[in-house]
Amino acid sequence: MSAATPRTGAGSTAGTRGSSRYGTITHRSSTGLLLVLPALAFIVVFVMVPFVFAIGISFTNWPLVGAFRFIGLENFAAIPGDTAFWKAVGYTLLYTAIVTGPILLVGYLMAVVVRANRRGSTVLRTLFFLPYVIGLSTLSFLLVLEAQPGSGAVNLLLQGLGITDGQTAWFTSGPLATALISLLVVWGVSGLTMVLLLAGMQAVPREVHESAEVDGATWWQRERSITLPMLRRPIAMSLILSVIGSFLAFSQFFILTQGGPGTDTTPVVLAIYNRAFVQLQVGSATALSLVLVLVVALVTAAQFWLLREKD
Amino acid sequence: MRSRREFLALAGLAGVTPLLASCGSGVLPAPDTAAPGFGEGATGVLRLWARSDTQTGTQAVVDAFHASQDRIRVELTPVLGTQYVTKLATAIRARAVPDLLAMNDIDTILFIVRDVFTDLTELVAQLPGRERLSPGQLDLSTLDERVYGLPFLADNSVLWHNTELMDRAGVDPSTALTSLEGCLDAARAVRELGADTYGWSLAANASGIIGFVTQPHTWAADTDVITGEVGSQRGAVEGNQALRAVLEHHRTMWAEGLMPQANFSDTGTSWGSDFTAGTVGLLPGNYFAAVMGQDEAVTSRTGVSLLPGPTGGSAFFTGGDNLCIPRGAQNASAAWEFTKFALEVEQQSKLPAGGYFPVRSDAATDEYRATYPLAVAPLEQIDTGYAPRTLSYNLLYNQPDSPYFEMFRRAVFDGDVDGAMASAQARYDRVLEQAQR
Repeated sequence: MSAATPRTGAGSTAGTRGSSRYGTITHRSSTGLLLVLPALAFIVVFVMVPFVFAIGISFTNWPLVGAFRFIGLENFAAIPGDTAFWKAVGYTLLYTAIVTGPILLVGYLMAVVVRANRRGSTVLRTLFFLPYVIGLSTLSFLLVLEAQPGSGAVNLLLQGLGITDGQTAWFTSGPLATALISLLVVWGVSGLTMVLLLAGMQAVPREVHESAEVDGATWWQRERSITLPMLRRPIAMSLILSVIGSFLAFSQFFILTQGGPGTDTTPVVLAIYNRAFVQLQVGSATALSLVLVLVVALVTAAQFWLLREKD
Repeated sequence: MRSRREFLALAGLAGVTPLLASCGSGVLPAPDTAAPGFGEGATGVLRLWARSDTQTGTQAVVDAFHASQDRIRVELTPVLGTQYVTKLATAIRARAVPDLLAMNDIDTILFIVRDVFTDLTELVAQLPGRERLSPGQLDLSTLDERVYGLPFLADNSVLWHNTELMDRAGVDPSTALTSLEGCLDAARAVRELGADTYGWSLAANASGIIGFVTQPHTWAADTDVITGEVGSQRGAVEGNQALRAVLEHHRTMWAEGLMPQANFSDTGTSWGSDFTAGTVGLLPGNYFAAVMGQDEAVTSRTGVSLLPGPTGGSAFFTGGDNLCIPRGAQNASAAWEFTKFALEVEQQSKLPAGGYFPVRSDAATDEYRATYPLAVAPLEQIDTGYAPRTLSYNLLYNQPDSPYFEMFRRAVFDGDVDGAMASAQARYDRVLEQAQR
């Protein structure tokens, strides 16, 4: 219902542009600049200045405490041989590969369930979106308790189903910890994918579906030939957000495993955090951060290119 | 285009300016501790940072200080323990430091080597009762015989035992718990009391706790896992017979089922709960884990001794907080006045009420012994307290991937003592070499 509104409004916007008030709008461009100035100032102060500052720090041996000196490109030159960093990169790629597909699939299925304006749809939408609102940090703290051997709900449930003896120590094993955290993340963030896809689904004209139905198309055929192609942009956006989120994963690992056992569940952001605030090597950590920024930008650009609309 | 260029230039300048400003920052000026009247009759606000982990103990002393005078108001800021080093470093770089720091004693050396704390050597020399202070804890804030911080409250690791289980198992704690060999026999005897009764308990998946409670066994044999002075240290793992005996002791206890299975995954959330429930004979731990919040029924069946070495000797971990005055402190005189107050016997003897041990041996008065009988052991042998003074404590012991923790788990749960020690030696050397560059 709401998704249809902007489409009807698009025509009137075009009409306004063509009106005699065009000159007035040009005059107002300075007003517009003034209006965005606070936001611009915010970005300059809190994004651009720190970014330039970070570039400066990356050329130093900046310790957390005490004086520093410029060391040129030493921090960057050390990155290729930084085994801890590359292990974390490898783990991050693995984690991203594990969760991206399920997040999209679960989000899509939830959107399918709640897209029709049936009775209870609103309640279901709220329920599905609720974990995302609660946030991964809070969910992680809950999981600390619920994954306890012998007493946590996860173990009691598995014990009740006869799958385990209820004593599984999830966070003492890298694979088990990764599996449980991946499940938590899929549950926690699929709601966002659902909302993004839902908006796209509701923008598909009902008439198209109805005529396909009259032509004898099955549900799956309509979904594959009508809905999916028209969801290209929302799916692309969901994937990009999901991949960026996975690349920058931190809180769930920090809270649940601290990167352990050993460094078996250390994603790249946690590795950088440890470099800065545990090893106290802020210069090195900043250089690694800049590399991460570059990698995320490249991956995002690649995704945009791969998922672009083809004429 | 011109405006765009100007904008970028402005952004660049804004970014570089603080960098340049930081370049010329240098160290903050040290307060004049030799000034007449320093530390006496001070006035104004005293800004004190406390670790959130030990806030209750600090707050109690602050309340007593307020009750004792009305010239100085203490503004207490609790700082999350895991963020303390970062926040303090940031404050120092911003040249906006508090007047006094109650901080984790093992972290003080990180700042002392950077020359950002006030040298208190002359003041400490005149301090009444200086010779009674915990030498291990004092040593953590001493460099090149100069003192930069004073012990404030202690969080020590000791060996708790269940007297009822010991009686039933026919174990005499006064003789059996003087060596790891004796402890092992005691644990075996307790284990035989029943299927749900265990000899020993350990939060074996908590890196910090493992370092806290198992290292003293090695120190009791007059050896450490690190060797050398701060700045040129290396690992002393391979060939360390005391350490090997400690690892083998724990391996034996695990292999023989003397420890509960839940120990394997306990991250410290249930540390001590099995002991206070009465199902465990021996618990290495702190006052919080075994005594705080327990009723008379539990404390009356609890006994305490220091952590023994493999064949004798004893030691304990001198954890806790030290008080340091950062260079640049605005009200250092008030900070020193508070420090002197906090170290008085009257204040120190009340610390167990908040879960901590005093840091001076003469706090164990007759009244104290009667009130806190389970908080006396470390004070009676305060010289045996120790903690390693190193720039890499957190990396070596507290992190989940720390070499000590990894070695301990590999040796105890996988049974590979030799492999664990060889691997740890290399990692100790690498971590220390990186930190000391």
